[in-house]
Amino acid sequence: MSQSNITDKNYSLQTRLVLAFGLLLILFLGFAAIVLVRAYRLSVVASVEERLQLQVYALLGVAEPEGDGFFLPELSEARFSQIDSGLYGFIIDSAGREVWRSPSALNINVAQDIFQVDEIIRGETIFGSLDTMDQGQLSWVSYGTFWEVQDQSYNFVVMESNAPTNAQIRSFSSNLFIWFSVLAVFLSVAQYLLLRWGMRPLQKLAVDVSAIEAGEQDQLQSNYPIELLPVTHNLNVLIKSERDRQGRYRTTLGDLAHSLKTPLAVLSTALQELQQTHNFTEQHRLDMAEQLNRMDQIVSYQLKRAVKSGQTKLLSRSVPVAPVLNRILGALGKVYRDKNMAVVCELADDAVFYGEESDLMELTGNLLDNAFKYGASKVHVSASQKKKVLQLQIDDDGNGIAEGDRHWVLERGARADTVRSGQGIGLAVAVEIVSSYGGEIKIDQNEWGGARVKVKLGQ
Amino acid sequence: MRLLIVEDEDLLRARLVKALTDSGYVVDSASEGKNGLFHATEYEYDAAIIDLGLPGMDGISLIKAVRAKGKTFPILILTARDNWTDKVAGLDAGADDYVVKPFQIEEIKARLNALMRRAAGFAKPMLEFSNLSLDTTARKLMVSGVETELTAYEYKVLEYLMLHPGKVVSKTELTEHLYEQDHDRDSNVLEVFIRRLRQKLDPDETLKPIDTIRGQGYRFNVPVKHN
Repeated sequence: MSQSNITDKNYSLQTRLVLAFGLLLILFLGFAAIVLVRAYRLSVVASVEERLQLQVYALLGVAEPEGDGFFLPELSEARFSQIDSGLYGFIIDSAGREVWRSPSALNINVAQDIFQVDEIIRGETIFGSLDTMDQGQLSWVSYGTFWEVQDQSYNFVVMESNAPTNAQIRSFSSNLFIWFSVLAVFLSVAQYLLLRWGMRPLQKLAVDVSAIEAGEQDQLQSNYPIELLPVTHNLNVLIKSERDRQGRYRTTLGDLAHSLKTPLAVLSTALQELQQTHNFTEQHRLDMAEQLNRMDQIVSYQLKRAVKSGQTKLLSRSVPVAPVLNRILGALGKVYRDKNMAVVCELADDAVFYGEESDLMELTGNLLDNAFKYGASKVHVSASQKKKVLQLQIDDDGNGIAEGDRHWVLERGARADTVRSGQGIGLAVAVEIVSSYGGEIKIDQNEWGGARVKVKLGQ
Repeated sequence: MRLLIVEDEDLLRARLVKALTDSGYVVDSASEGKNGLFHATEYEYDAAIIDLGLPGMDGISLIKAVRAKGKTFPILILTARDNWTDKVAGLDAGADDYVVKPFQIEEIKARLNALMRRAAGFAKPMLEFSNLSLDTTARKLMVSGVETELTAYEYKVLEYLMLHPGKVVSKTELTEHLYEQDHDRDSNVLEVFIRRLRQKLDPDETLKPIDTIRGQGYRFNVPVKHN
């Protein structure tokens, strides 16, 4: 893999989660703050507009026409009367001329053209804001009326300084910032603690594994959370199968060494005898050939046993049976071409072996080789699957295996020097493989009088 | 019969070459795959013995390469690894039989004999034509049920012709398959063998088993006996 970007560096799980959640937290809180401030600003602006509109109605209520202008004797709102109070009222005629302004607005320097409109529409309310040199930003509302006495349309305009509302929004924002910061700190700490708590089983696993490495314990303990149980269970199986395999290697080596000692002893005594007598007889040759043959058998039996992968079914792949059997039948058809065996196959497509393909090949190769070797003219092979159980049956029309021999033939782990030649080795290897997968192997006689070998795997 | 042996173990190869040469085969040998492939493609062989565990180009690749060149002669695998994955791989690659080490030379001879006979289309070790039968295991000729003595070279010529029945076999082909490369290839010697064979196979001159095709070679022309 060449994907060693920043994201693939060897950060610990905890660092990854802390970084990811931290980033998410910042994004979430930041976005929430922006949305909240915007919503607050909108509601403040709406309330300002509503208030200004009420002030317009108040002006309308007390306005009395006087000549070309207006006279507003009793202003209910004190701020209209107080200079630079921040609340200002204007009445503008249709030509855009100012006909009245509140006493508060005496100092206000507003460009006249902002009141210039094409036509005053009665009952129309317009909102807006403008910037001034001395008063800062002002929000305004203008309301169009028709005054029958003067036969004239007027715009009643009320303006208010934005300074108080801006201050209000600013204070809201800074409050929000403070609280969100507190929240962020609190959430970060909580998240860190939660992650540590959640990660604790993994740390425990690491400690456990190193304890096994150090030889302080045999297996992982069982008190892991349910999500980790399959992992710890499989690790335990792996550890156990590795231990078993080491044990097997030791016994195999022991067996091999011991069983080779006997023929070696015979050979060396024969050699000594020859040195003394200087007479090499036919009997000597036969003895030595027999011992060599025995040694060859011992070695090949142990080698065949060693071929087995030693995998257990829990850690294995599923291997379709039919293709493997067909390959072996093709190979045996070549080797035993002279026998012209009639082979009948009943191989279910869904027949599956849970294990190593090489084990299946060794198992079926040995059994089928026997069937071809000892069968006279026909071989019958069937493979079927019932739920998770694979059933294999191999029949030939040879002489079969005598009932008395079936027992020792199926005995597992027969010592190499006790294995007899011929069918023994192939079957012994098959038995070894089947029992290592926790399966079952049986020998029977079929209706042709030949051997029937039945194998059940995957219970 | 001309054989190719590809085996990297010097002692074993020398022993095989000697034993098979003693049995009347013409034997070429190579100690690694590339050289083996060169021999297999340059010369005509009746069978090959190939070790699976060769240095460089391994046995399986060699067999595949030989088959890819269109060579159909039977191939016998030698393997030290007695497991089915390897055996099936070898047979799938195009070999015809296998022998697991250690082995007896007699077994190799028997397997080779069977392979070459099968390649010629005979299912049994007895090659039977009309009243002639050649026992390829015991290397004996029976004419009308009576055993007839053959010299080693006469046997080799007859076996080769019988394994290619009805086919014109040139003198060059015969010498290549029956003699070592540096052997004196005097075609007159071959003619003498053929003349003697004709006398032994057909003393009454009724069967005329071996045709001479002028300028081309010989043809064994007796119908195969079906039983």
